[in-house]
Amino acid sequence: MRKISDSSDPFILFDHVWKEFRRGERHDILRDMLPALAQRVFRGTRNRKLHAGDFWALRDVSFEVKPGMALGIIGPNGAGKSTILKLLTKLVKPTRGSCAVHGRIGALIDVAAGFHPDLTGRENVYLQGAVMGMKRAEVARKFSDIVDFAEVGDFMDTPVKRFSSGMNARLGFSVAAHLDPEILLIDEVLAVGDLAFQQKAFDRIAELVRRKIPVVVVSHQLERIAALCSDGILLHRGRIVCRGSPSQCIASYVEQQSSDLQTSAGRCALLLHSIYAANRPEIPSGKLAALLVECSLPSPAAQAGPLRSQSEEIVLRVRSTETGEALFAVGTAALGVDLPTGPFALAVELQMNVRPGLYVIETIVRDCVLDKYLANGPHTSVYVTPGQLFRGKIQMNPRISVLRRESFANCDPKTI
Amino acid sequence: MSASKYSWLRENLSEMLHEQFVFRELLMQLTYRDLILRYKQSVMGFGWAICAPLLNMLIFSVIFMRVAPLHTSVPYPIYAYAGLLPWTMFANSIRFSAISLTLNVDLVSKVYFPREILPFSAILVSLVDFAVASSILVALMFYYGIRVTPAIVFLPVILLVQLAFTAGLSLLVAMGNLFYRDFKYITELGLTVWMLATSVVYPVELIQGRLGIILRLNPMTPIIDAYRAVLLRGELPTAAPFTGAALFSVVLFVFGWLVFHVEEFQFAENI
Repeated sequence: MRKISDSSDPFILFDHVWKEFRRGERHDILRDMLPALAQRVFRGTRNRKLHAGDFWALRDVSFEVKPGMALGIIGPNGAGKSTILKLLTKLVKPTRGSCAVHGRIGALIDVAAGFHPDLTGRENVYLQGAVMGMKRAEVARKFSDIVDFAEVGDFMDTPVKRFSSGMNARLGFSVAAHLDPEILLIDEVLAVGDLAFQQKAFDRIAELVRRKIPVVVVSHQLERIAALCSDGILLHRGRIVCRGSPSQCIASYVEQQSSDLQTSAGRCALLLHSIYAANRPEIPSGKLAALLVECSLPSPAAQAGPLRSQSEEIVLRVRSTETGEALFAVGTAALGVDLPTGPFALAVELQMNVRPGLYVIETIVRDCVLDKYLANGPHTSVYVTPGQLFRGKIQMNPRISVLRRESFANCDPKTI
Repeated sequence: MSASKYSWLRENLSEMLHEQFVFRELLMQLTYRDLILRYKQSVMGFGWAICAPLLNMLIFSVIFMRVAPLHTSVPYPIYAYAGLLPWTMFANSIRFSAISLTLNVDLVSKVYFPREILPFSAILVSLVDFAVASSILVALMFYYGIRVTPAIVFLPVILLVQLAFTAGLSLLVAMGNLFYRDFKYITELGLTVWMLATSVVYPVELIQGRLGIILRLNPMTPIIDAYRAVLLRGELPTAAPFTGAALFSVVLFVFGWLVFHVEEFQFAENI
């Protein structure tokens, strides 16, 4: 285990953590429990047997989060993201390995967990504050800030059972956001409230992140991870499968999500070697992304198996990391591009008529006669920033011209 | 006890106390929450705290004054009420503690705090009810002209012993109910039997023979009798049984809390 030089700095250190959960109930009958309990208490040991049906929620997970570092954890459902947060908040203990958290934790996780439906907004703010470890005096001092931030000022004396779910979540978030943590943990709270509030919540979190404290973020909103975090890890079935910059992890996550196809060669003649963005990876919305795809097609004589190369094409598919949805796909055959034999490269231009965010561009070999995807190729990601050309979800190719008053006066709109 | 056992014990005890200190405001907030919830959408509010012991007193007064007259050193209604008052606090504490963890699933499974706070807060709520319901006892003492004697200075000791006993048992029951919901039902049945095995509405010394010997082991009887001694008879509690009950209560409290503390790291994944 590595030592941290300055022990006064807050930090998180996960050292080869394994966590086992069970699938079924713990003790089938009461009779089993009492001796087990007594044994544990009197021996003071926490050894446990391995039960059939138990599974590893985390396998050998190690990472470190130092001040100024924001770690984004991504992965499919059940990958172990929430287990990591539960270990960090001391809700559960690791089965093997150690999990050290040094510093006062502020957790933006289940921000309304302490709310009671029959209590008023005001009473719940104090209760939730206490649940999160705030002193009553501290809550009292920040009370008006909390209420202003949540935008529920008129309803503070209304029982929260009469709140809309959005108001409830906003108030909970607002209490949590006014903690003064040394370590910040964030889980899926970035999707609270309407768009305006989400932006406000995001700005507030970004402000906390800028305080140079250790931060851990778990979210399915990948572009938020990309924007907030300095580092990323991708979990898959309890293991870290990718570690690096957030965009690296996101790209490999999105790839993993869509990889129902094998990357292996042999299923098709075309080989896709690499794809990369020819210009810088950040592109203003509405501008062109230039990409280069390196491929090769063996000559018919060199191809093994049935001759397929005639019907194969290269498809480029754009996927949103926000929703994971494939937004657009186009193939070389449809565009009338003839693929030569031997090594070659495709220069691709895509007009990024999409909302700002992170997009993954995948390459796929498709058989256009059988209408079947054959193999996945490499992928790259493009970060689209807000552009000047247009705003919104789609580009409608507007054409706007100016008409002079005299021609406008005796003009029938239908004939323009 | 070996040295490592001793340091394990010391480490756990200091951790338990330290956590209670750090989270002291949460205990107050949760108690306050349950108290204000009491009068929300309720006409009687705290009146319910008086209702149960008062109604029980009336019922047992009919039974033991009309049906099967019972000789007691003080008028029967105040004898019964002085027993029902601390018993109700005990029974309600156990009852509320049993469901305190499972009623707050969101808190237990999602937020870290020492879980003892939930049963402790259930006990504090019952203690407030106890304070409210003791107003009836004061009124009865006036009515029957029972004077307060210096023996009353012993009252806080009795209360502390009862709280230690209650807390030790509450922690175990709360934990048991988290793992097995059977505990909730066992608790209800157990409390019904236990009340009749304690000197709550009649002196349990009246029961002789082998059953009587078993009933002498019940620590709740000396505790309840101690209340009657200092309040109604102006005497100190009978030394031997009360000391025994007090020692047992302290041991149970420390044991219950230790077991709870050692096990609580599993609560979130087992609730």
